[in-house]
Amino acid sequence: MSQRIQICGTSFLLPGNPAWSALGQGWEPVFAGFDEWARLLLDPVPPVDPPAALVWVLFLEDLLPGQALAPSLALKDPGQRRQALAELVAPLLIPLDARLANHPQTPLIVAYSLPVVGSAIEGGRGRPAWEQARQALEELLRARVDQHPGLLLLPLDRQLARLGLDQAFDDRNLYAARCRLSQAGLRVLARCLGDLLHRQHNAAKKVLVLDCDNTLWGGVVGEVGLAGLALGQDGLGKAFQDFQRAAQDLSRTGILLAIVSKNNEEDVWEVFDQHAGMVLTRDDLVAFKVNWRDKAGNLLELAADLDLGADSFVFWDDNPLEREVVKARASQVTVVDPPADVTRWPRLLRDLPLFGRFETTAEDAKKKAQYQARAQFKAEQGRVVDETGFLKGIALKPSLVPIGPGSVARAAQLCAKTNQFNLRVIRHTQADILALADEPGAVAFLGHLADRFGDPGNVALLLARPTADPQVAFLDSFMLSCRVLGRHFEAWMLAQAVAKLREQGARWLLAEFRPEKRNQVAQDFLAGHGLIPWAEAPAPARERLAPLCRDMGGQIYLAELASLTIPYLEIYDETQAD
Amino acid sequence: MKPKLTDLLRQLFPAAAFDGQDPTLGVGSFAEWDSLGHFNFLLLVEETFGLQFSVDEITELKTLAQIRENLAAKGVEA
Repeated sequence: MSQRIQICGTSFLLPGNPAWSALGQGWEPVFAGFDEWARLLLDPVPPVDPPAALVWVLFLEDLLPGQALAPSLALKDPGQRRQALAELVAPLLIPLDARLANHPQTPLIVAYSLPVVGSAIEGGRGRPAWEQARQALEELLRARVDQHPGLLLLPLDRQLARLGLDQAFDDRNLYAARCRLSQAGLRVLARCLGDLLHRQHNAAKKVLVLDCDNTLWGGVVGEVGLAGLALGQDGLGKAFQDFQRAAQDLSRTGILLAIVSKNNEEDVWEVFDQHAGMVLTRDDLVAFKVNWRDKAGNLLELAADLDLGADSFVFWDDNPLEREVVKARASQVTVVDPPADVTRWPRLLRDLPLFGRFETTAEDAKKKAQYQARAQFKAEQGRVVDETGFLKGIALKPSLVPIGPGSVARAAQLCAKTNQFNLRVIRHTQADILALADEPGAVAFLGHLADRFGDPGNVALLLARPTADPQVAFLDSFMLSCRVLGRHFEAWMLAQAVAKLREQGARWLLAEFRPEKRNQVAQDFLAGHGLIPWAEAPAPARERLAPLCRDMGGQIYLAELASLTIPYLEIYDETQAD
Repeated sequence: MKPKLTDLLRQLFPAAAFDGQDPTLGVGSFAEWDSLGHFNFLLLVEETFGLQFSVDEITELKTLAQIRENLAAKGVEA
């Protein structure tokens, strides 16, 4: 079913135009009437059926005609000029501020535009007037992003510039229909909004899997040898090298790199170790499958090795046949169909929205080392018979991290990305999480875990909210990154929550497991940690709690906190919790 | 092969019922084909055939027959 997106703008946006199909499947654009944007933003009454998001398309030229800027720009002192421009632009954002204050729960996207105006001469020595006005607007908008987790910005001119501003804007449309954009420009707007909306509701991909021959370098190493490869020299060799640089830059932001190649393994490592044109190193790779087996099977094996869903994988291969096989046999994997022209690859990879994230957290940058450490943990765990002894010996150091402005981005990221150990798979936004954590009686925190194998960072989130019954708390969300599975950290997290809830006077904990595509690993958690399935609970308890469970469609569990016994806590007995 | 104008009409207004042979087929022939629908239709025609109508043409071209005639004058068969 499509989600409704409400769209308003300072210019007309041609509802019904085929360009809006670029929003992508799953979104139904609903347009406010022309010139209704201010009324819509200022309306304090919550809509009966709120949209999944509101989009405000702001063309600054609509609100600030050139002559309005002239007095500010006449000021000689740069500081005074900046201040005057800010004062001129700030009132234009009053409707936006009203919207953010009145409806903080509805995600809001502000797409703004103020294209280059004037000739090259204007910018020869001074800064063009429009550029200064745009800077003033951007500074004001950016300040609001910091304060409002539900606000996203789309600096539209940067995206339209790819098309060419002359192609993206159409004065004929402006005078015929009060629409500033061309149909092609409108399509760019729709596609960018679609990318933002998609990322708001779906996690970014985590792994880029690359082929080797004719993907990382030009030529087939087994046929032409090291010296015959196109890599590093001018022309195509430089393009392959820049493609590797783009991949390496992605890995620095936390995207995991792997290779799947039909090749002799020693040939591939010879290129990695000895070719002077190589940018990527073995250390950049988190895993690899170099053999003569089918690539779809190799990709699925890689996913299992890394404990990641294959749907977090992106596969890049020059060979269309290999791509088709992967699409058919490993359909969860996203397969890029790159153009035959390799010179376009570096930019294409850098611009790929599949990996884009709104924010990069400190954890992201440490990903590669964490997954390498995880592989090492799994290898050592496999050799040990006494699990408790093993876990006690790896210096586990758990701690709680309160939900606040500094940690809520990570909490929302866990909500968006955790598919496996996740009891209910509710994709809370930052605003949702902050609101929930602020409720009196709520217990909400992140869990941080370090051990001998590394510091995976904030890897768990628990949100328990009060219910209509003051002695009953509900486990709204509980999730754990798969990076720390096998350490019984979930038991420690639950124990911390139970202690806090008891301190606050709660007697019962109500929980729900909602089966999703990939969260089977969480299914046994509740019963395995002392909670009782609904059907087996004592009748008086069910009678008392039934009114609180009316809206729950999943499997319901409950626990009386005073008698709840949580296993595995001895593993953490001697650790120093902060 | 380039689509016909009636194909573009069906693409833009998939739910509308119309007779492609009707010589008067134009703005107002069905509910969705209002002035906004017509503007969107002309933009789709432009994009499909790689040409641009002037503001005057946008004002004057009201029926499928007129658009077809205008395109023919530009050497485009639709």
